[in-house]
Amino acid sequence: MSLELVRVDDRLIHGQVVVGWGRELRPDLVVLADDEVAKNDWEQELYRLGVPDGMEVKFTTVDQAAGGVEAWANGSCKTIILVSGIDALRRLCEGAPSIRKVNLGGVHNEGDRHQHLPYLFLSDEEAHQLRSLATRGIEITAQDLPNAAPVALTDLL
Amino acid sequence: MKRGLGAAMIRLFVFQGSMNHERLQGLGMAVAIEPLLRDLNGGRAGKAYRSAMGRAAGFFNTHPYLAGLAVGSIAKAEHEGVPPQQIERLRTALKGPLGSLGDRIVWAGVLPAAAAIGLIVLTLAHPLVAAATFLFLFNAVHVALRVWGLLAGWRFGIRVAEALRHPVLQAGLRLSGPVAAVAIGFAIPVVAEWLTVDFDGVAKWGTAGVAAATVITMRWLVPTLGAARLGILVLAMTLVLGWLW
Amino acid sequence: MEFTAMGGLLVWGTLVGLDLATLAQVMIARPIVAGVVAGLIVGDVQSGLIVGAVLELFAMEVLPFGAARYPDYGLGAVAASATAAGAPDVFGIGIAVVVGLVIAYLGETSIQFVRQRTTVDVQRHRDAIDAGDVRIIYRLHRRGVLRDFGRVVSLTVVGLILSVIVRATVPVTLRGAVVLSAVAIGVGLGTTFVSGVRVARDARHGWIWLVSGLVAGAAWVVQ
Repeated sequence: MSLELVRVDDRLIHGQVVVGWGRELRPDLVVLADDEVAKNDWEQELYRLGVPDGMEVKFTTVDQAAGGVEAWANGSCKTIILVSGIDALRRLCEGAPSIRKVNLGGVHNEGDRHQHLPYLFLSDEEAHQLRSLATRGIEITAQDLPNAAPVALTDLL
Repeated sequence: MKRGLGAAMIRLFVFQGSMNHERLQGLGMAVAIEPLLRDLNGGRAGKAYRSAMGRAAGFFNTHPYLAGLAVGSIAKAEHEGVPPQQIERLRTALKGPLGSLGDRIVWAGVLPAAAAIGLIVLTLAHPLVAAATFLFLFNAVHVALRVWGLLAGWRFGIRVAEALRHPVLQAGLRLSGPVAAVAIGFAIPVVAEWLTVDFDGVAKWGTAGVAAATVITMRWLVPTLGAARLGILVLAMTLVLGWLW
Repeated sequence: MEFTAMGGLLVWGTLVGLDLATLAQVMIARPIVAGVVAGLIVGDVQSGLIVGAVLELFAMEVLPFGAARYPDYGLGAVAASATAAGAPDVFGIGIAVVVGLVIAYLGETSIQFVRQRTTVDVQRHRDAIDAGDVRIIYRLHRRGVLRDFGRVVSLTVVGLILSVIVRATVPVTLRGAVVLSAVAIGVGLGTTFVSGVRVARDARHGWIWLVSGLVAGAAWVVQ
């Protein structure tokens, strides 16, 4: 039926996603698109344990996820795609131009990032990547939980 | 039993003491795991201890009651000489799923269930009995989760996924939601009747009307408002209207 | 109110405030506990119990995942109990719930303030933390706890002052008070119902459980 949410969150599967967004969107499928996790069995096992019974999890690389977007967008499952960072998001969107809307859910500080929101820290490079995604017409908003007010990218940078 | 588990257990009760936006519970994690790292090669002056502490204090975000599972399993991995890069992966892979499990069992299950049962008891027995019932029901699960988590984490180390398949935990996941739903459902009419027992018919219907309007507002009209702000707004309006009238 | 009762409320409010996230989290921060005990301290368990129950209905909305925001209903319940103490029931709850909600809301915003201050503190010592400097890690952690301690003490004091002001100045006729109480209880019940729906959506066959609970509760009341 649809691609319900494309989210950047360095925690990948956690309470805000499974309980918070899960309750509002009722997804059937969570695609965890991460190159590292895709090749590591015990990590996948842990993430799978974090997801409730009715939700299926699929582990893919970012490129595989980009290739699958078309099918998920037109498929019969409600789908959420999770990536762990801005660079992965850029690769996903470049590989799948049909993505028109993304959600920034959590990027925390490491290296030389600056704080924009309590849960959003971006380096200059990442801010630049987001701006260039926005110029391609992708709607980018930051929102940690469904009942929080969304913040538009233009108000952030 | 491993030395330091007791101290780690106690420190886990201030796990969120330095909650911040940069590392969330990272410092709390380091403070809690410290007693378990003292006997790494070279002791407290050694390189292993310092680099393990540095890793522990990085960004970390999980459910406070299940944090012990992460503390135990990461400490065990450090003792087994698991390479730093893999420990980072373990940290990353643990925090989200543990957070999700804890949120589902505790915040969306045991807490609302115990609170609703406490409210029901409030209408039947002495208020202190109600408060004690709530505290007992909630903390029986809370403390059990904490103690089991730390011990299981230490026992299973990097194979911590096995610990999470524990049948009691899985049963808790399946049961806590339904129990909470029944308890909340039962509590609503019982508490409504008890609170409005002195009201006349008009006031009772008024209360019901306000409740219905609240449901509509919170579910559909302004879901981002939250009950506290909605309550302040509506009550302030009522006060002003009452004053003018 | 007596001086000793005020002192007792200050201590209790501090414990309740710290319990919310910083220390122990045994959930004395829930209004059902915080309000009843505060009522006991001021010598009026009955009104503490009623405001505790009403605020507990509000607190059912709190599902603190991750670092999400949540109102500090426990501190609110302490201030509300102080406001309601000794007053006739119907007068007590409406206006006291307003005080409680204001403090709860201030609690939510002040938590963000404290966390932001700790964030800056942590950023300043980033290198020492990453190098595993235990002294710095301990010091920063302790400062985080102290900051929250300062927050909850101040907020408890603000709540008590507010309660004294409200008790001294707000003239509410009995009729007005009934309306106010009805509105407070109504919003609380609506909030709990919305939370019940949320819980039901998460659980397997949650709707059936919620509705059977409602039916059983209604039958209990009628009988």
